[in-house]
Amino acid sequence: MSRKKPMIFLGLTLVLFASLYAFLQDSMAEKPSQQPAKNLHQPVLVDSTKCIATKEFMRANHMRVLNEWRNSSVREGDRIFVAPNGSKLEKSLNTCLGCHKNNKLFCFNCHMYANVKPKCWNCHISAMESP
Amino acid sequence: MMNEERRAFIRKSGLGILACLGAASGLIPKFSLEKTILPAWDEKPVPGKIRWGMLIDTRKCTEGCKECIAQCHHVHNVPDFNNRKEEVKWIWKSSYNKVFPTASQQFQSEKIAGRSYLALCNHCAESPCTRVCPTEATFRRWDGIVAMDYHRCIGCRFCMAACPYGSRSFNWQDPRTAIKDPSIAYPTREQGVVEKCNFCSDRLVKGLLPACVEACPQQVMTFGDLNDPKSDIRRLIENNETMQRKPELGTKPSVFYII
Repeated sequence: MSRKKPMIFLGLTLVLFASLYAFLQDSMAEKPSQQPAKNLHQPVLVDSTKCIATKEFMRANHMRVLNEWRNSSVREGDRIFVAPNGSKLEKSLNTCLGCHKNNKLFCFNCHMYANVKPKCWNCHISAMESP
Repeated sequence: MMNEERRAFIRKSGLGILACLGAASGLIPKFSLEKTILPAWDEKPVPGKIRWGMLIDTRKCTEGCKECIAQCHHVHNVPDFNNRKEEVKWIWKSSYNKVFPTASQQFQSEKIAGRSYLALCNHCAESPCTRVCPTEATFRRWDGIVAMDYHRCIGCRFCMAACPYGSRSFNWQDPRTAIKDPSIAYPTREQGVVEKCNFCSDRLVKGLLPACVEACPQQVMTFGDLNDPKSDIRRLIENNETMQRKPELGTKPSVFYII
């Protein structure tokens, strides 16, 4: 009986260690950087340095993208667009204009050529009107 | 016999430890094996979690001061036609009997009845304007703000008829001609749409307080989440006697007044 005692305790400690192993791993693991909960109090970091899709895609589909952005950001509050390359952008006309306003005729040239008259600039302030 | 009891004791205590660990992982999120990353869920707003509200301490408001109105109307490109009939307003000042027409008017002290009071869209919890809008151009947002989607507004003015507070204005003319100092960051409206205060939803996404709250030199307005019992606005509402505009209509306004 007395010879069995250490074996029992060894077994018990082994079981205890095994059951606590996962928690030890967790406490030793590197903490994920304290990401702030994104809520309305904190502005979302926006990287507007890259275009959201290829030139060809945007030429054909920019109106669909803008429609979708408008509906989801205005009505559902889903303001963040995740581009295929992982960068996050704010769904806003200003995101597009952030890069493209260096060409003041960016929208107008093409629309004039194609004879389409979108109503965006009835309210939104275009690069033509801003200084 | 002794052995039998010891065995049972060890067995039971072992089960007890396992149960404790299970309970701990459930109760203390730090103990759980698989972590839930909260920000991934927070990216999209949760409807009804927040209800933005405002408390206006009219005792502090200076008579004749129009800082908040000027700032709001500048930031949001609100046109000024210089014509009462075509007036467009998001926030304005009015007399006691116009802002609180259903409050007791009898024997009201000269001091209270003579002052002017700030009025703006109440962002009602039971908003009549959103009910009548045929295109859902105006709607209650996830955070309690009664918002306008100007893209959808057809200018039928049902909402203006439904609003008991006169918080909505119609653009009878092209507003662009009547904006003296436009701010580039915010769009204007066009002829034939209804417009109103948006509780600065454009500034809230950037983490800023509403323009009127920030512009006020006397800190008359307190802005906060009415659903958060620990917020400043809830504390002030609990510790002061407050008033809402026409509360008997059951619209549950989110703008409160200390008289």
